[in-house]
Amino acid sequence: MFAIYRRLWQVNWAEQWQYRADLLLFLTGWLISPIIFMAVWTTVASAQGNVNGITAPEFAAYYLVLLLVTIATSDTTLNSLSYKIMGGGLSYQLVVPVHPVLTQMLVNNLASKALQMAALTPIWLILYLLFHPALAITPTNMLLALPAITMGFLLQFLANATITCLAFWTTRGGSIMSLYGTIFSFLSGQIVPLTLLPLFAQNAAAVLPFRLALYFPVQLILGTFTVEETLINLGLQLIWCLVLLVVFNLVWRAGLKRYSAVGA
Amino acid sequence: MQVVNKSLERPTPSAGTDPIVVEGLSKTYQVTDREGGFGAAMRSFVKRKFRDVKAVQNVSFRIGTGEIVGFLGPNGAGKTTTLKMLSGLLHPTSGTARVLGFTPWERNSGYLRAMTLVMGQRNRLSWDIPAADSFLLNQAIYRISDADYKRTFDELNELLELAPIIRKPVRNLSLGERMKCELAASLLHRPSVLFLDEPTIGLDISAQVRIRAFIKEYNRRSGATIVLTSHYMADVTALCERIIIIHHGQLKYDGKLADLSRRIAPFKLISVTLGECSDCDLTPYGTVVPSESNEASAKHSVQVKADEVATITARMLAELPVIDLTIEDPPIEDVIERAFHE
Repeated sequence: MFAIYRRLWQVNWAEQWQYRADLLLFLTGWLISPIIFMAVWTTVASAQGNVNGITAPEFAAYYLVLLLVTIATSDTTLNSLSYKIMGGGLSYQLVVPVHPVLTQMLVNNLASKALQMAALTPIWLILYLLFHPALAITPTNMLLALPAITMGFLLQFLANATITCLAFWTTRGGSIMSLYGTIFSFLSGQIVPLTLLPLFAQNAAAVLPFRLALYFPVQLILGTFTVEETLINLGLQLIWCLVLLVVFNLVWRAGLKRYSAVGA
Repeated sequence: MQVVNKSLERPTPSAGTDPIVVEGLSKTYQVTDREGGFGAAMRSFVKRKFRDVKAVQNVSFRIGTGEIVGFLGPNGAGKTTTLKMLSGLLHPTSGTARVLGFTPWERNSGYLRAMTLVMGQRNRLSWDIPAADSFLLNQAIYRISDADYKRTFDELNELLELAPIIRKPVRNLSLGERMKCELAASLLHRPSVLFLDEPTIGLDISAQVRIRAFIKEYNRRSGATIVLTSHYMADVTALCERIIIIHHGQLKYDGKLADLSRRIAPFKLISVTLGECSDCDLTPYGTVVPSESNEASAKHSVQVKADEVATITARMLAELPVIDLTIEDPPIEDVIERAFHE
């Protein structure tokens, strides 16, 4: 099994390199909005002293950690899965004895993530120097962040994979993905820290799993959680991962029965 | 004595168990149905109408070990749908199929390791990297040992002359080169059942000939069972002793290619080249087939019933100034075209 992952990694890494210019442009476009948020909130907080108790250096720290965690946890390839389902490109992946999503897509994700992280690092360091964040990362938090980030990624990967499977039924899953993406970015803390959301949205975010995918690992790195809170959230992440894995498998199997392998 | 290369040989299933057994296989697609135009588009937005398309209806057949069977039928006849069900891509609406003892659409990994699907209109290989990298990925996916991989690759290389092309990115290969790499990638794990969906589509004549020769040789060496669809009759006549004709989703013919002419088109073509003869009339001998040239000395053809060939030939030789006479089977394309519509 390890050999399959190693080879898949090599192939995907080589493919990602082919698209490195595209990747850099994507990254640049993607970076604009968090940098603007960071600039706006640090300016407002500097002028007022703080916003809801959050100071400018704390805003800077939030967004800088958010950048890293977003790249580490985001799932970039599942749109291509919906395209493959609708266009019939999934066919060849179904006749080889490895899972098209849980193996092939997963490794593809990791390869693109590695390259994105390499490209982001110098930009991140420049932003760090420009915005003076209040970052005090402890080794314990970093260590705890590893499972939190891994499960944060798995949550997004499995949720996206499940939603993408709707392409088996709808033939156009794009609008559902986009609606889901908007809800996710609000309730996961991608746009502003959750404590700045209106109360009803905060309440919704507290019970929904989105915050576990992004906000929790970010806050964990920033050191705002107690050990007990951290363990509870890690446990919740694990439960959601397992639930989503089961749901994905059910939807995937039902979807395959409907797959029509169009074109050729 | 025939020299058989040992390394491509694989154990064949025990006698009496055909590798492919299909019984009552049917597939119905549900498709949306609406007329053209803005009004129809709006109505369809509110209330969709669906229509059932019966792509394959109650098809049954068995294919034995080592056979090469050609699936024929016009576009949309259901042959690719059948092939997709047999390779596990599609779930049937009803009926059963067993391939190598597996139900294909359960996609058991044991089954996926023992079969391969080649679709002439789709790429298996990754577009941006050299085929050699995709081959190594397949080695890992199919868990092929280094020794087996090397041996199989060397053989495929010998048959397909892969060495000069596998280091180039696939996107830079010609269609023929790409198909060679696609076939090699599909066969590295030495499958015992091959589904080839139009493997020569779009290729020039010489590339078609090479791919055909390769398929034949692979079958001879490995004893693999091969099911092939193609619109090129030359593929079928060169490779398949047996053909299965599907039309409108139904099985129209299953048998030897040679028997098809006898059954569907029990007639022969008698072609004659005549000497000086301005008022020779061929109509009393049979149905005159329009000739390509109008010159008096040109070749003329008449279509006659198979059991009357001897009598009519004798009459023509006696009554006409015949310079040359040949008796031919009708073109296979015509026979198959007839079979579709029978």
